[in-house]
Amino acid sequence: MKFLRYLPLLVIAAALGAAVVRAEDDRSVSWSPIVYPEQRLPLVFSHRIHLAKGATCATCHPAATTSRSAVDNLIPTEAACRVCHPIDRAEPMKVVAGAPPAACVACHPGWTPDKPVERVYLTPPPLKFDHSAHAKAPCARCHGDMTKVDLATTRQLPTMSSCLSCHTDGGEERRCADCHVTRPGGQVETQFPHGALVPRSTGMGDAHGLGFAKDHTQEARQVGATCTACHDRSECLACHQGVVKPMEFHPGNYVLTHGVEAKRGTPDCSACHRAQSFCASCHERSGVGARVTSGFDATQPGRAFHPPGWATAGMGPNRHKDEARRNITSCASCHREEDCLTCHSNEPGKLRASPHPRGWRSSARCEALDRGNRRMCLRCHITQDELGCNWSAP
Amino acid sequence: MRRVVVAAIALAILPATPAHAYEFWLRAQSIGQAYQLRQYRLVGPDLFQGRRRYTQTIALRISDIGNLSATRRQQRIPDRGLRITWQSYLRIDHDFGQYTSGRITLSPAVRRDAIDVIPELADSAAGLDLLYGHVTLEGLADDRLTIQLGRVLADDGWGTSGLDGGTVRYELPIPLAVTASAGLRVRAASPLGLTAFELDGTSGAGCQEYVEGPAPGTGTWKLIDRNRRITGSKLASDFELCPQREVRQPSIGASIATARVRGFGAEVGYRRTWSETYGLIDGVDRLANPDLGLYPDDVGQAPASGVNEERLHARVHGELRRGALAISPYANARFSLLHAALDRADAGVRVRRGEHSVEPTVGYFLPTFDGDSIFNVFSIEPTADARLGYEYEGTLALRASGWLRRYLHADASPMSGGVEAGIEHPFGERWRARLDGLWDDGYGGRRIGGTGEVAWTPRASLWLRGRMIVLGVRREDRSDFVTSSAVVSSSLRIADAVALHLVASADRDEVHELQTRVFAIIDLAFAPEP
Repeated sequence: MKFLRYLPLLVIAAALGAAVVRAEDDRSVSWSPIVYPEQRLPLVFSHRIHLAKGATCATCHPAATTSRSAVDNLIPTEAACRVCHPIDRAEPMKVVAGAPPAACVACHPGWTPDKPVERVYLTPPPLKFDHSAHAKAPCARCHGDMTKVDLATTRQLPTMSSCLSCHTDGGEERRCADCHVTRPGGQVETQFPHGALVPRSTGMGDAHGLGFAKDHTQEARQVGATCTACHDRSECLACHQGVVKPMEFHPGNYVLTHGVEAKRGTPDCSACHRAQSFCASCHERSGVGARVTSGFDATQPGRAFHPPGWATAGMGPNRHKDEARRNITSCASCHREEDCLTCHSNEPGKLRASPHPRGWRSSARCEALDRGNRRMCLRCHITQDELGCNWSAP
Repeated sequence: MRRVVVAAIALAILPATPAHAYEFWLRAQSIGQAYQLRQYRLVGPDLFQGRRRYTQTIALRISDIGNLSATRRQQRIPDRGLRITWQSYLRIDHDFGQYTSGRITLSPAVRRDAIDVIPELADSAAGLDLLYGHVTLEGLADDRLTIQLGRVLADDGWGTSGLDGGTVRYELPIPLAVTASAGLRVRAASPLGLTAFELDGTSGAGCQEYVEGPAPGTGTWKLIDRNRRITGSKLASDFELCPQREVRQPSIGASIATARVRGFGAEVGYRRTWSETYGLIDGVDRLANPDLGLYPDDVGQAPASGVNEERLHARVHGELRRGALAISPYANARFSLLHAALDRADAGVRVRRGEHSVEPTVGYFLPTFDGDSIFNVFSIEPTADARLGYEYEGTLALRASGWLRRYLHADASPMSGGVEAGIEHPFGERWRARLDGLWDDGYGGRRIGGTGEVAWTPRASLWLRGRMIVLGVRREDRSDFVTSSAVVSSSLRIADAVALHLVASADRDEVHELQTRVFAIIDLAFAPEP
C-alpha cells in the first residue's frame, strides 16, 4: 500500500498535465505589445480585394524594397491611393461609376465634414530591420498570406519565432542586438514608454514567470543562454554574492528559520555563501558557534547545543555521524576541519576513528584522491606505511 | 632606472591622441543598512549587536572602445568586425557596527576584540572586491573569435568562478564553438579577491605564518595577530595554515559546445585547478610538520603540488515544437576526476502549451570539496531529488511546485519534501496583489506558512509595496515557534535613472519578540520592474 502515499502527487501531476494539454495559445508565436505597440487604424481597407485585382505588394509599398530602417513609414499615402482611386477632397462624397471608391467614408469610416479625419497611429517597433536585405524573400514569408486579409494589423508583422526560422543563430545571446535596439553599453534596451520588454518563451524556456526570480537554474545553465543580452552580470552577482538579503529567496525572519533548510541542504547554501566565513562568523558572533565562549556547554545537563549522544568518545550512538553523512556542509558552518580531527585522525593521541566510508581502501575514490592531492592525506597519516590506499590499520 | 621609466611614460603620453567619449553604461548603488543581530545567551537576556553596513557597488560597461563600429551602429546595421568592450563590477563593503568592531568577553577578566577572536569577521569588516573586470575583443577572425582578458567569469556548467587570466572562444566552420580559459583562480587572498569565489565553503579565515628565527630554519609557525592558541595539530586544518590558502591556484579549462543551432544545445567541458604546496621558503623546506622523508621523489616534505579540482561536465538541452506545444528536455552532469565520482546530475523536461507549463525534474548531488579539504575522504552520502513544477502565465500568474529529497544513506534513507504555490493578480494599472503558500516536512523539520503582498503605484515615479509573512516552524530537536514579519518598501524615481529605495522590516516571534531592520539604496541606474 506504499503506492497510496504517492497518490496525491499523482493526482496533482495528472491535473497539471490535463491543464497543459487543454491549453491552446502559444505565447511564443504571439505578438509582443512592446515590440509592436498598440496601433490605431480607423480605416477600411482590404488587402484581399486589392491583391485580387492584380496589385502587387510593391504597387502600394514601393519603399519596402529599399528601406533599411524599421522606423521608415512604408504605409501608402493618399497620393498613392489616388493612382487608382479618383479621390477629390473638394468632393468628399464623390462617386464615379465603374471606378474604385473615391468617397472619404469609403476608407475613413464615420467621417463627417464637420470633423477632421481620425488619425492613424503607428508607433515604429523598437527594432533594427533592413527591408532591402530581405527583398529577395517573398513578402508572404514574413507577412503571411495577405490574399485573405482585409485590414493589416500587427498580426501581419513577423514574430520573433518566424525570424528565427531562418536566422537559426538569432536566438543566441550575441545576436540579440542584431535586431533589438541597444542602450549605451551594448545591451538590449528593455525600458520603453509603453512598457518593459521581457522574454516570452521565444528562446529556450526563457519566459520570466512568477517563480522565475526564485528558480532560474535551467534557463541560466543552457548552452547559449541569453541572460546577459539584457542583464548585466552585476545583476546576477547582486543576489548571488550579495550584501542585501534577497526577499524573494529569504523572506521574513530568515535568520531564525534558516536552520531547517540548512540542515536539509536544499537549497544549496554554498551556492552563494561560504560556510566558514559567512556562516561561521555569524554563528560565532551570535553565541552558537563552536569556539567562542557561549552559554552552551556539552558537559552541563540541559545546556548542550546538540542532543545527548551526539558525539561520544568510543562506543555510543554518535548521532552526529548520520547528520554529517547527509550534509557535512551544515557542520562546517560552525566547526572547522580540526574539530573533526580531534577524533578522526591517526596521529598519536587521537582516537583513530576512521571517517572513511566502507570499502574505502579499495575504492576508486581513494585512489583518485591519493593520486590527485596527498596533502589532505597528510593531515592524519604521517608515516610512510599509512599513506596510499593499500595501507591497513594496525 | 626609474628616470628611464618616467621618461618612457612621458614620451608615451605626450603624442597621445585626444580622449574620445565612448558609449558607456554605469550602474552605481549606495546601500546603507542598519539592523540588529541577537547574541544568544542561555543565562540572562540575550544581547543585541548592531550591524551598520555601507556598501557601494559600481558596475561599468564601456562599449565599442575606439568607435570601431560607430558607423554601423548609427545606420542600425548589425555589429560586425572588431569591437572592444570593458566590463567591471567593483564593490566596497564596510560594516562599522558592533558586529565586527565590538568586543567579546571570554572570561570575566578577558575581553578581546571580536575580530581577533573570530577572524572570519574580517570578511564582513571591510572589503574591496573586484567581482569581475575584463576587456572583451569580439568580432575577430571573420566574427568567429572572441577574447576576454582580465578578471573573467568562467562558467563550468555548474557554477561560475573568477579567473585572473583570459578566455578565448572560437566558432568553427561547422556549428561548434571551442572555448578555452586559463589563469589564476580568484581566491580570498587574491588582490581585490572575493571570498565567495573560493572553491568550497570549508576553508576558514585564520592564518599562521612562518616567523624566521635568528638562524635560517630555526623559526616557528605563529598565528597572525590572533589572541588564541592553536589547539589542533599543526597541519590539522588549512584554517590555521593560511599560506596554503594564499598560494596561487593555476586553472585551465576547455569546452566544446554547439553554436548556431536552433532548438538544440550541448556542451562538454573540462577544468583543472591545482596549487603548489606551501612550505618552501627561500628554497628551504619550512613545513610545519616533521620531515619524515615521506616523498623522496618530490621537492621538500610534502608533494610539490596538489590538485584542487578536476572536473568534467556535460549538458544538453533541446526544444521540440508542434503548434502550441513545446517540449524542452534537458540534462546536466558533472564528474569529478579528483574524486572519481559523479557529483552532480539532473534531468528534466519542460512541457509548455500556451500559457501553461509543467516541469518534472530529477536530480542527484554528492558533495565534493576543494582537494585540500579532509571532507573529501569522509563518509558522505549523496541525495536524490524529484520535483514537479507548474506555471500559468496569463493575466493571472500562478505557480505551484512540489519536491521530494531522499538522503541516500547506507543504513536509513530519510526524506523531506514539500509544496509551494503562489498566485499574482493585477487590479487595474496601479495595484497588484500576490499570495504565496508553503508547506514542507521531513528531515530537517516542518514549516507551514504564507506570504501576502500588495504593490501600489500611486504615480509613475513612486512604487509602494507591503508584505506580510507568517511561518510556523517545527524543528526536530527544538521547540515549535511561529514567526511573523512585515516589510514595507518604496521606490521613488528622482530622475530618469535615479531612484531612492527605502525598506523597513520588522520580525516578531515568541522567542525573540521584535527585531527591526532598515535600509536605503540610492540607485543610479534605476530601471522599473515590468
